[in-house]
Amino acid sequence: MKRLLKYLKDYKKECVIAPAFKMLEALFELFVPLVMTKIIDLGITGHDKTVVYKNGAILVLLGLIGLTCSLTAQFFAARAAIGFSKGVRKDLYSKILSFSYENTDRLGTSSLITRMTNDINTSQNGVNMVLRLLLRSPFIVFGAMIMAFTINVKAAVIFTLVIPVLFAVVAYITFKTIPMYKSIQKKLDRLTLHIRENLAGARVIRSFRADDDEEAEFDEDNQSFYRMNTVTARISAVLNPATLILVNLALAVVLYNGGNLVNDGILTNGQVVALINYMSQILIELVKLTNLFVTINKALASTSRIADTLDVKETLEDNGTLVASDHSKNDIVLSFEDVSFKYPGAGAESLYDISFSVKKGETIGIIGGTGSGKSTLSHLIMRFYDADSGSISLFGNPIKDYTLHSVRDVISLVPQKAQLFSGSVRSNLILGCPDASDETLWEALRISEGKEIIEKKGEGLDHILTEAGSNLSGGQKQRLTIARALVKDNPVLILDDSSSALDYATDARLRANLKKLSDKLTVFIISQRVVSVKDADKILVLDDGHMAGFDTHENLLKSSAVYREIVNSQSGKEAM
Amino acid sequence: MKNKAVYTRILKLIRPHLVLIVFSLLMAVLNVLCTLYIPILTGRAVDCMIGKDNVDFEGIRTILITFLVVLSINGVSNFFMTLSNNRVTFRVVKDVRRKMLLKIHSVPVSYLDSKGHGEILSRTITDVERLSDGLLLGFSQLFTGVLTIIGTLAFMFYTNGLISVVVVLLTPLSLFAASFISRKTFKHFSKQAKLQGEMTGFINESVNAVRLIKAFGAESEKEKSFDEMNENFAGVNLKALFFSSTTNPVTRFVNGLVYASVGIFGALLGINGKITIGTLTCFLSYANQYTKPFNEISGVVTEFQSAVASAGRIFEFLDAEDTTDITEGMTAVEDPVLSGDIKIKNLAFSYDKSKKLLYDISFDVPKGHHIAIVGPTGCGKTTFINLLMRFYEPDAGKILYDDIPSGSLHKADLRSQIGMVLQDTWLKSATVAENIAYGHPEATREAIEAAAKKAHAHSFIMRLENGYDTVLSQDGGNLSAGQKQLLCIARVMLNLPPILILDEATSSIDTRTERKITDAFTAMMEGRTSFIVAHRLSTIQNADLILVMKDGNIIEKGTHEELIEKHGFYYSLLNA
Repeated sequence: MKRLLKYLKDYKKECVIAPAFKMLEALFELFVPLVMTKIIDLGITGHDKTVVYKNGAILVLLGLIGLTCSLTAQFFAARAAIGFSKGVRKDLYSKILSFSYENTDRLGTSSLITRMTNDINTSQNGVNMVLRLLLRSPFIVFGAMIMAFTINVKAAVIFTLVIPVLFAVVAYITFKTIPMYKSIQKKLDRLTLHIRENLAGARVIRSFRADDDEEAEFDEDNQSFYRMNTVTARISAVLNPATLILVNLALAVVLYNGGNLVNDGILTNGQVVALINYMSQILIELVKLTNLFVTINKALASTSRIADTLDVKETLEDNGTLVASDHSKNDIVLSFEDVSFKYPGAGAESLYDISFSVKKGETIGIIGGTGSGKSTLSHLIMRFYDADSGSISLFGNPIKDYTLHSVRDVISLVPQKAQLFSGSVRSNLILGCPDASDETLWEALRISEGKEIIEKKGEGLDHILTEAGSNLSGGQKQRLTIARALVKDNPVLILDDSSSALDYATDARLRANLKKLSDKLTVFIISQRVVSVKDADKILVLDDGHMAGFDTHENLLKSSAVYREIVNSQSGKEAM
Repeated sequence: MKNKAVYTRILKLIRPHLVLIVFSLLMAVLNVLCTLYIPILTGRAVDCMIGKDNVDFEGIRTILITFLVVLSINGVSNFFMTLSNNRVTFRVVKDVRRKMLLKIHSVPVSYLDSKGHGEILSRTITDVERLSDGLLLGFSQLFTGVLTIIGTLAFMFYTNGLISVVVVLLTPLSLFAASFISRKTFKHFSKQAKLQGEMTGFINESVNAVRLIKAFGAESEKEKSFDEMNENFAGVNLKALFFSSTTNPVTRFVNGLVYASVGIFGALLGINGKITIGTLTCFLSYANQYTKPFNEISGVVTEFQSAVASAGRIFEFLDAEDTTDITEGMTAVEDPVLSGDIKIKNLAFSYDKSKKLLYDISFDVPKGHHIAIVGPTGCGKTTFINLLMRFYEPDAGKILYDDIPSGSLHKADLRSQIGMVLQDTWLKSATVAENIAYGHPEATREAIEAAAKKAHAHSFIMRLENGYDTVLSQDGGNLSAGQKQLLCIARVMLNLPPILILDEATSSIDTRTERKITDAFTAMMEGRTSFIVAHRLSTIQNADLILVMKDGNIIEKGTHEELIEKHGFYYSLLNA
């Protein structure tokens, strides 16, 4: 909570006004029993109807003032809470966008989404409730005690005895059950996992006839969820009767002492009634306070998750000052020198001692088996990760000397996964370049062999893609993602296995189109298919993270055993 | 489902716990009676204190003894009531979840496919939770609430009719106020829900595509759109939050009015000697107590409505028709030993009955033959596999295994004879070893390792942090697509049945690894009837029979050479 307090900074006024007015309301509520005493003692006992009317009017007036104060408090509390959540949401969103690959990998996308939605809503509720109730409830409890003292010290002593005990009981049970509720949540997550797996694996489960095993596993976790629930419920079930009994025991003492004091002429019976009323006010507030504890506790868990996310240290340093551009005199666009890289937490290196350099306008093929490090290489070029050793230079300068943003402003990446946003084709294509003209977009579509697809859609660039482009085939999506990268018109283009769903003819036309741009465009083509890379100026062959050749197709056939093996494995009609 | 039917079903669910429920109701009655009796006792005690030297100590003592007894019963009954309510609810929840899991196993795969996994998941988790909350509230508050209202009314009218009329006339005001506010805020809430949905969608998309956004340097654009959305949402959010939070102050104000009226009327009656001060005290407590259950019940009703809606969705799922094991009208063949001889006769199937998907498929597969199925996406290959495994039932025609119609075979028997590696790799969040031994928990570590070695998975498994004991995260998230497929292959390798189905099994594996696997497959397929669906033509060249499918029908069949010779669709596929 502390770490998120700064989001209330602009709402200081609200944070003071809300609880202040809440306490004011509570104060007026505390006067009610006193007024009632007057009605009883002066009105009934004194047989005076005007006192009754006058004080009755005061009761109504107190209610009205209380209502006004309370509405004011609710308004300011709501404003502070909304302001808080708005600020957190904004910063959290920016933070998530700023995360390096490593951070996103570690935190997981689904948990990031939960932070942005549920956790923020829960903390907003927490802020709201704290502003409204945290001061009010104790204020009434202690206020009732003080009022009791103003009536009669001797009769009020029992209040000082019972209040600490009540607080102790409430605190004990609340804090005892908090970790238990957490554990219930975890067990529910287990159940969710079971259901999800059983749905996704329906075919496999049936074909392996594993439904009995699955049921047994589920039963076990279901039973454990049940047990945790009942145990926790048993403990919280004590809370209600315990407070009820304590308060009423104190009430019995008040009645007993009251009898003596009335007999001695120290108290009137109207005052005894006031004492009884104060006791019942305490009971009501305690119930609210327990509920508040639960809310606060949930909110605290959420805020600490949010704060943790906001506090995540950027694993990638962005200290560079140079702005990358291809105007350098240096003919070498990119060079790797003895670069090694291991994913955080991975057992082994993904790339070992990679060295190569690429000249402007060249087309470089990168080929290798699954997990050989092809995509990793592209991630290093984009500087999504930093190499563990060795150096990478872009346009003659170490890549780390550039600002992160400018590196991505000269290199376009078409990732393996063809990802599109819901929205129009246009809004997807202008992702990296918001003011691109329609001509630019059509030209990019032409090069990526996607022009025809969009032309066929009646609305052209305004055609709306449904969620994640689900109304397009895999190959159509790939062509759009390639066009999107071309719109940026960057000097370097990386195609990470991004034509895998294209048929051979389209793939070939695409490569031919790109070749025509070679005066200004350096292209990396990552692929598993020999046919996609064999016409490249040079081919980088990767084998389990090691370089197994960097040369032309013809030379590699002679020099690289790994390359030969790959070519042979694809020697069917499709490959050649 | 009609609400009435849902209620009947809910009653049926809790019926097995009838004894506990009756017990809980008895406790509730006791509890309410005690709660209502305490103010009467308090009032009587006050009446024992008339003034100086005029206190009936004997009376107070007797009253206090009764008071303590009633209080103990009150506390104990409250505890047991809560306890049994919890127990019934959690048991019902446990039973329902179990039934739902069994249902997931017993409905046809086609049902799961068409309903959507998210939908079913949310029914088993969220809807069951909501039902649980509704049941708990229903048991604990609805019944006691109604009892309290009735009890209070009875006690009040018994004590004094006139003040009771005042209370009865005024209390509905608070209900009116509450429902007025909730109607007014409803539109803000629905607008808020809509915006929240849109925002969640946006967040979801951004988080999933965070890498893409970074690669295109589109962070600030996205932030701008998000800020706009956030600002918009905060405005609606504030209105909804504030207006809904006026309910409490307003109802409290109305309650204050009731309290004041009771005070005034009571005092006037007191002056006339119609009631005692003690009775007035009792009425004042009732005035507080009487309004509370009204407010609670209105809350419970909303909660309950949503619980009933959830229950409706749960029952709808539980009512889904189970798969038929033996097709109607056929006699079961027990313990068949299948050799792998398969005949397909005039098979037809479609998901959407207005669109033909598969029709008139006929061919024979002698034992041990290898069949390759090729064709463009959507031609019905995967559907055909679904029919072979009896995940789906054909609309017409039949599949004969050793001349036994598939409908006469128990599904479990049939599937035990078929090993399959599917397009989407499904792995459990369990250890690697457990995944390979899936369906065969008795397999030894040696057998598991041998299977992994045959599938070329051993070396990457050994590179994982804990080797075979590495726990896979959800959906095998810590593995690459290729590695997941290797594990799925190892899973089949462990226990080889006479028939194999390999559906795009190697699509994410590079051709070099694939070649190694193909070698293993060749050995494994030796003497086994095998169906191979693949894009990569190199995988299928050696098949005994190639079926070329297009638009739901087999348009060509023959060996690779024959089909090349023919210069037909197969040939054009190769030369595309």
